[in-house]
Amino acid sequence: MRRLLMAPLSSVGRSALGLAETIGGATLLFGRILRALIPPRFDRDETWRQLYGVGVKSYAIVVVTALFVGAIMVIQTAFYVRRTGATSLLGYGVGFTVFAEIGPILIGLMFSGRVGANTTAELGTMVVTEQVDALRALAIDPIRYLVVPRFVAMMIMMGLLMVLGDGFAIIGATLTADTLIGVDPSVLISSLLESHLLDEYLLGLGKALCFGVSISVLSCWFGLGVRGGATGVGRAVNNSVVANAAAIFFIDFVVGWLFPVGL
Amino acid sequence: MTAPVAIRCEDLGKRFDDAWVLRGVDLEVRRGEVLGVIGPGGHGKSVLLKCLAGLLTPDAGRVLVDGEDLARLGPLGLARVREQYGYVFQNYALFDFMSVRDNVAFPLRQQAHLPDAEIDARVAARLAEVGLAHALDLLPRELSGGMKKRVGLARATVGDPAIALYDDPSAGLDPVTSSKIFQLIARMHARRPDAATVVVSHDVDRMRAICDRYVMLERGRVVFVGAESALGDAPEVVAAFFGGAERAPTGGG
Repeated sequence: MRRLLMAPLSSVGRSALGLAETIGGATLLFGRILRALIPPRFDRDETWRQLYGVGVKSYAIVVVTALFVGAIMVIQTAFYVRRTGATSLLGYGVGFTVFAEIGPILIGLMFSGRVGANTTAELGTMVVTEQVDALRALAIDPIRYLVVPRFVAMMIMMGLLMVLGDGFAIIGATLTADTLIGVDPSVLISSLLESHLLDEYLLGLGKALCFGVSISVLSCWFGLGVRGGATGVGRAVNNSVVANAAAIFFIDFVVGWLFPVGL
Repeated sequence: MTAPVAIRCEDLGKRFDDAWVLRGVDLEVRRGEVLGVIGPGGHGKSVLLKCLAGLLTPDAGRVLVDGEDLARLGPLGLARVREQYGYVFQNYALFDFMSVRDNVAFPLRQQAHLPDAEIDARVAARLAEVGLAHALDLLPRELSGGMKKRVGLARATVGDPAIALYDDPSAGLDPVTSSKIFQLIARMHARRPDAATVVVSHDVDRMRAICDRYVMLERGRVVFVGAESALGDAPEVVAAFFGGAERAPTGGG
């Protein structure tokens, strides 16, 4: 009976310890990354390779996601626009939601699923095949050689992909507005430009950079912490995807709370 | 005159969770000697090698390299010590995103800071020496087990390291390829005769050709240290191992 009562408590305790270990470990890893960045002491060739890899791996999925994000925003507002005839507000509505909120979150989630999971799997496989030990045996710090280039690449690429994504979201919105509710593209674009959404745009960009930091740190943390072969890699990828999604929503909440826009 | 000690283990112990894999290991590796580490599978040989390279931190005792305790060195100090090392991993540990050429050139690019032309020449020469001149641009996934082992050996020794560690270099290889690998180890040692070399293997017959002394581990403890000529005083289990009648592993680390 006592064991039955203790089991849920033990489970909660284990989860709390696991969470504390992840937050603490990821924070320490972030500290080591910053230490390697000031002054910059990391492998430039590997950074270029990562920039190329991360960009090429992600741009297609970001473009498709962004087109749908813009299209969905228009579909959601189409009913009210038709009913009220307030077509001049369509650009503002789409721009506000896409730039500040939905765009960064959805693109961040896609990025974490595509690049973050891949990073965890790649580093985890390097751990179980002793490639990380081989680096250390060659007197090379795995943080400087493996983690920092991925951190730099993910942060830069998340920012650039956000700019790309915002552009394609507007294209998606414009095409959908034209074909579904008959709003001329020029109306939507001029409404968007007149809405002065620079704050929202910069907020979204800032969120994307924060997401890039959290995705890179958490993915590398879970990858380098792999134990137990292929099963361990699978478990780490699973944990990485869940933790990255949770971190994206948490960061979105904190940044939105600290820097409110549109009020 | 006795050669200086390159690596010394003092009362070395290592455990994973509650299981002690190494216990009370006292050991010296001298400059210029080839030390063979033998023993049943799963009794701590590879763990010992990783402790010697500072890849695992001891839970008891210490490992001294040229008198410096590895556990007390900071990251920069450890990196400085490791620049002397060449390490051949049991499962190759080749960087799978790099070609054979880049794998072998990697230590020279990272540590030696030589001109590209010289690096290319040294890599080509070393790969020719291990019989892989034709495989420069292949990726590790395109190689057989024996080829991977030879690339690992070329990568570990391209800088002519002062301390060379080989973890079961003939594991999973056919007898002909195993012989070639041991011949290459002998050639690498001849190239740098003052190097301290440690070879972990079960292949006692082939080790006889290159090893000056042996250490036998059983259940994580040293049960024999010495040359083959000292086997007369060794416990029965050691003589049996050298005689090819390795008894079944009795558990432990």
